[in-house]
Amino acid sequence: MSQVTRVSVFSRVLPALAVALVAFAFVVLSDRSPTRLTLELAWAGPDSTRPFGSGDAGVDLFALVFHATFRALGLAAVVALFGFTLGTPLGTTAGLAGGKAQRWLLRACDLTQSFPTFLLALAVLSAVAVPSRLHIGAVFCLTVWAPFARIASVQARVLGQSQFVEAAQALGVSHGVIILKHVMPNLLGPVAIQLGTAAAGIVIGETALGLVGLGPADGVSLGSLMEQGTLSMLRAPHVLAVGALTVMVVSGSLQLASEGLRRWVGRT
Amino acid sequence: MTDHRRDQARASRVVPVLLKVAERSFGALLVLLVLATLVFLALRLLPGDPAALILGDQAPELERAALRARLGLDRPLWLQYLHYLKGLFVLDLGDSLARPGTKAFGEVGRALGPTAALSGVAVLLGAVGGIAAALLSVGPWLGARREWAHRGILAFAATPLIAFAPLLTYLFAVDRQWAPLPGDPDAGVAGLLFASGLLSIPLAAQVGRIGRAALLDQARAKFLDVARAKGATSIRVWVVHALPAAFAPISVVIATQLGALLGGAVVLERLFERPGLGTLMLNAYAARDIPVLEASVVAAGCLFVLAQAAAAFASATLDPRTAA
Repeated sequence: MSQVTRVSVFSRVLPALAVALVAFAFVVLSDRSPTRLTLELAWAGPDSTRPFGSGDAGVDLFALVFHATFRALGLAAVVALFGFTLGTPLGTTAGLAGGKAQRWLLRACDLTQSFPTFLLALAVLSAVAVPSRLHIGAVFCLTVWAPFARIASVQARVLGQSQFVEAAQALGVSHGVIILKHVMPNLLGPVAIQLGTAAAGIVIGETALGLVGLGPADGVSLGSLMEQGTLSMLRAPHVLAVGALTVMVVSGSLQLASEGLRRWVGRT
Repeated sequence: MTDHRRDQARASRVVPVLLKVAERSFGALLVLLVLATLVFLALRLLPGDPAALILGDQAPELERAALRARLGLDRPLWLQYLHYLKGLFVLDLGDSLARPGTKAFGEVGRALGPTAALSGVAVLLGAVGGIAAALLSVGPWLGARREWAHRGILAFAATPLIAFAPLLTYLFAVDRQWAPLPGDPDAGVAGLLFASGLLSIPLAAQVGRIGRAALLDQARAKFLDVARAKGATSIRVWVVHALPAAFAPISVVIATQLGALLGGAVVLERLFERPGLGTLMLNAYAARDIPVLEASVVAAGCLFVLAQAAAAFASATLDPRTAA
């Protein structure tokens, strides 16, 4: 990789890593609680002890921002990795098999991707009395595998017909070794890009669900932070500013990271 | 060519299109059926008693049993499902629980109007705003500053609606007081325009991004040189000559963004406390108003499927490469 490409990749991946590391360090090292209520400080503005001010019932927004970011990133990472682990082998197998197998898989992806996530979430979450992060993650898991399977299947189809795979076959290399050593490494790049895109989508999706009142019941989520902000817009605008900026930074850094991965994959 | 051959040629073109339409309709129906089944099962497979969830744990057993009988929850699941599918087919899922005496689908019908107005105005504003931004970012009017128009388009395309809509609402409605406050019952047309304007921003950004690329594709075309040589003004060159040639990808991006727009409409209805399908769904979810929740989720699913069909139709008619 040339010096310039390396810089352009790292400069794009770094913000997401920094956000994740800072949130992780805060959750592990700091004893500030995102759920402790200090009623006399309800909706109080920022000061030296609470740099982001206080929210509903005197919640420390500084702690809430880092804990909510950590949980959102955790959820996004788990769900995106689930999609990756399920979708990639599925897509690769169908792509290499070609014909009917691939056609059926692509149809299944079409159907899965055409589900409106919000309606799906509303339908599934109404089965539980109080939604938790696990339930919300399960809703995203229902559809997250489809783009991974689609990309892997198309890539595997192209790679399966490439000359270096034909050469390996001519040399008598076994089918399993061809998949592991020749197809997989070339396929992982384009699929890795989807990891960033999926993660950003999940952070925004979780926030949107929380904003309309379908968030996890513990109240420690970017969505409930935004909900607090919109409800208290008139008396405590700082809550809204803190929430909106956090969502922008987290989702923006993930999108930037996905662009960095794209450059890393597209390197020559 | 004889009439017979011409008919044959036409038939060979029409049959694949009909097959495609049939396949898509089947897929759309399948999506709707799965969605309807999920919402049905979710509400019935609930651990515990749905009647207790609706009436509260303290409600007397007699009242709960009456509610279960009214909703048909005391019958076998397969019978309930058949009854539910028939109800969806004839658009009658019974009365709302929260507002006895009003039909669930009647509530949905009343909610469709405000949502249609919000989304319709947003599509219009998004298309006009996006095309204007695209024209400004390629035309000569802004000089070197047209790069700023491009950067603005990219910035809005990368920012999620849920982050900037509440911020802009605060800025314009609370701080500057140019727009009505969220939840203001007298907001009227100004409220509709403001909410639609916010909803239209992501659409405008996507239209601007694709429109700019499409206009740049046309920028060196010979027919624009001819128009310039004939003394056409730059507005005439770009708006009358270049824009129609770039319109196909713009229409496709508008159609493909309709689904996202419907999702955004739910968030904005909640934010502005406006009546509509999203508010109806969320209220029915909160009150576990089973008939209204089922009717509104299926109705919203229909809208979503229709939007996707519009996108597929637009891209197949306007871009023959995707029709195959």
